[in-house]
Amino acid sequence: MALLTYSSTIPFSSSSSSTSLSSRRFPATLFRTHVSVPLNPWRFRSRLPRPHAPLRAKATLTVDSPATGDASSRNGSPRVLLQVKDLKAVIKESGQEILRGVNLTIHEGEVHAIMGKNGSGKSTFSKVLVGHQDYDVTGGSVLFKDQNLLEMEPEERSHVGLFMSFQIPVEIPGVSNFDFLHMAFNARRKNHGLPPVEPLEFYSLVTPKVASLNMNPKFLDRNVNEGFSGGEKKRNEILQLAVLEADLAILDEIDSGLDVDALQDVANAVNGLLTPNNSVLIITHYQRLLDYINPSYVHIMEEGMIVKTELIAHPRALMHHLKSLLAVLLADYHCPPLKRV
Amino acid sequence: MSCCSSSVPFAPPPTLPPLRRRCRAAALTLPTTARAPRSAAVRAALSDPFVLEIAEKLEDSLSSSDAAASPLPLQKLRDSASQSLLSKRWPSTKDEPFRFTNLSFLRSSLLLPVPSPTIPLDPALDSPSPHLLAIVDGHVAPSLSRLAALPSGVFAGSVSALPPGPTLDRVLTALAEGFGDGDLFWDLNGVGAPDMAVIFVPAGVRVVDEPVHVQICYSEGGEVGSERLPVSSPRVLVVVEKGAEVAIVEEHLGIGGSAERCYWANSVMEILIGEGGKVVHSYVQRQSVNAAHIKWTFARQETSSVYELIEVSTGGRLSRHNLHIQQLGPDTVTELSAFHVCQNNQTQDLHSTLILDHPRGYSRQLHKCIVSHSSGHAVFDGNIRVNRFAQQTDAGQLTRTLLLAPRAAANVKPNLQIVADDVKCSHGAAISDLEEDQLFYFQTRGIDLTTARQALIFSFGSEVISRIPFEPIRKSVTSQLKHSLATQ
Repeated sequence: MALLTYSSTIPFSSSSSSTSLSSRRFPATLFRTHVSVPLNPWRFRSRLPRPHAPLRAKATLTVDSPATGDASSRNGSPRVLLQVKDLKAVIKESGQEILRGVNLTIHEGEVHAIMGKNGSGKSTFSKVLVGHQDYDVTGGSVLFKDQNLLEMEPEERSHVGLFMSFQIPVEIPGVSNFDFLHMAFNARRKNHGLPPVEPLEFYSLVTPKVASLNMNPKFLDRNVNEGFSGGEKKRNEILQLAVLEADLAILDEIDSGLDVDALQDVANAVNGLLTPNNSVLIITHYQRLLDYINPSYVHIMEEGMIVKTELIAHPRALMHHLKSLLAVLLADYHCPPLKRV
Repeated sequence: MSCCSSSVPFAPPPTLPPLRRRCRAAALTLPTTARAPRSAAVRAALSDPFVLEIAEKLEDSLSSSDAAASPLPLQKLRDSASQSLLSKRWPSTKDEPFRFTNLSFLRSSLLLPVPSPTIPLDPALDSPSPHLLAIVDGHVAPSLSRLAALPSGVFAGSVSALPPGPTLDRVLTALAEGFGDGDLFWDLNGVGAPDMAVIFVPAGVRVVDEPVHVQICYSEGGEVGSERLPVSSPRVLVVVEKGAEVAIVEEHLGIGGSAERCYWANSVMEILIGEGGKVVHSYVQRQSVNAAHIKWTFARQETSSVYELIEVSTGGRLSRHNLHIQQLGPDTVTELSAFHVCQNNQTQDLHSTLILDHPRGYSRQLHKCIVSHSSGHAVFDGNIRVNRFAQQTDAGQLTRTLLLAPRAAANVKPNLQIVADDVKCSHGAAISDLEEDQLFYFQTRGIDLTTARQALIFSFGSEVISRIPFEPIRKSVTSQLKHSLATQ
């Protein structure tokens, strides 16, 4: 029933290897179903024999460094989407080191979560991945679909299928949401050698996605994020994700500022976008979101490094792990009953 | 900087013009070094020879044509302007209104009044509106205009075509009230205006859906670098009677070979809005980038009247808009918006004054400017005076400038002078580059930097452009702007 994949997903540097987990959590139970819809050429190439694809459950064995894990080379295992090795980055202006050797491997179809205290480098990590100009990468490598991400401009990173939802989405007065989505969509199509989509056609393409996020269609006429409430901004980020159909979505504190209903809408939308071929990296402080979007891995970040990685075998186990791992953060946090999404 | 250029190309007039006589007489009475006592005679003595020289040239050019046959309103205008001109000096950067606006381009050029135009046979003029009033080099050109579709009672055309009767009387009274705060350029226009276009909308009539399109064209131009600067002085008077409404599109452009040439447009538009009347004034300035464009807009608003101005200025090496709005009664509504673009070695200047003397006036002003050239310069001085009786005024003012090139400059001075004690007033100013965060946001969504910049720059201006009520004009301004931003 369960398809087990053995891979060395979490390469740790030798200094941190002592803190990494051994192969205790194992084997996995089924906890999520996927619908396999190949969406882009890259995915066609990567379609692997997957007898149990619709009911795939995964467990991944985490092992200590050195990082040799290229899961795609092994027959039957999912392809590596993102491989971060010993990534170091500093703030450009002050030279202060924020990332001090991050290692992370994400395969397609996986949901990862990074948790950690304020200032531990979670958001910096996500910004560095999408190429924010405020940070300089001083060491390490980032491969996305076997391409060197660090050499790409931010827009090229988007074109190859990387998406980041902003912690604080930027307001752009004077540019309507519709025009913005249309520009982004066509920029992506152009990059893939496809003809642009006319506004009318795009409208019929985008309205169902707006509806599925429980958003008012008037959203499209408003200026990007201008005067949006916190919840509206986050929904808008997910709408962009839905339109751009990214392979790896980094959701940076997508849950902050959301009430329960909005959180559920956003989580439902993210779950609806998940396929066996794309992946999500969630950055959050709260377990609440992880009740709705179940991660396969939870990473704990501290002082610019991933110090612990936990494989989540079962949603029931999630609470337990989080509590043990993040005792400080979650000490007085009341966990509602876990929901299956 | 030659103050006494010798090459006046016009034949000396048979008689001495009044201006010259008056000023010489004054010069004899007092030494030119005398300072400050502010009697007319003394100020006349201090008359700037350069100013007088221009004024004389302008007078000569008119008297050489048919000045004597000029209609009464025009004669009165010239008389009062030449009188007031005697006390005016050529402004320097030491004068507050011109502190940041360098006029040396005009001063160093050889200013020549344009002769009566030969109306081009193949006009490039066209309008999406059925009502077109064409003005070429200051003269109303009936052959290029199209005014047959105007509602009855509405007059648009040259003041000389205005038959004697109540309308002419109304125009005369409107002019007689005069304008005390006009500067040198106001008076130079008064002296040099060869014609006056009049738009008269009688009480209760509405000309709204299809605006009166006033195309003010400049066909004479000197070659770049020749220092020859033909001067023309178009003048328009708009009188809107009680309860009437009119939409006006005022457009300034160089035609024929003048699209890239040097010339000086010194234009004036006077607007009088009667009780409960409304004027929606779209003003599109797309002069040659080598031209000087100085313009006065003087609006007077009676009780409960509405004045909306939407300005889009992209042309001109030196472009100065003096806007003066005087409230004549309570409950007026004034909405001013301006969008300036400096893409070349340009100065774009808006000096506005809004004087509120009566209760419950409402005003909003938005000024936006983009400077995308290292020697481009934006100037804004927005003055709002809320005087003693202007209680319960609601006045807001905002200016925003984008500086997109190193060394690009902006001088903005939003200012409120409030005497009344029960008012709501606000003002704000922001000068910045494009936000890095906004650009990055575009990029992370796959949109490249160039496209993102263009979208942001364009969206900056669209806040003003979208207020132009007449769609074909709005579209043409939009596409022109998009084109010029793309070719930059």
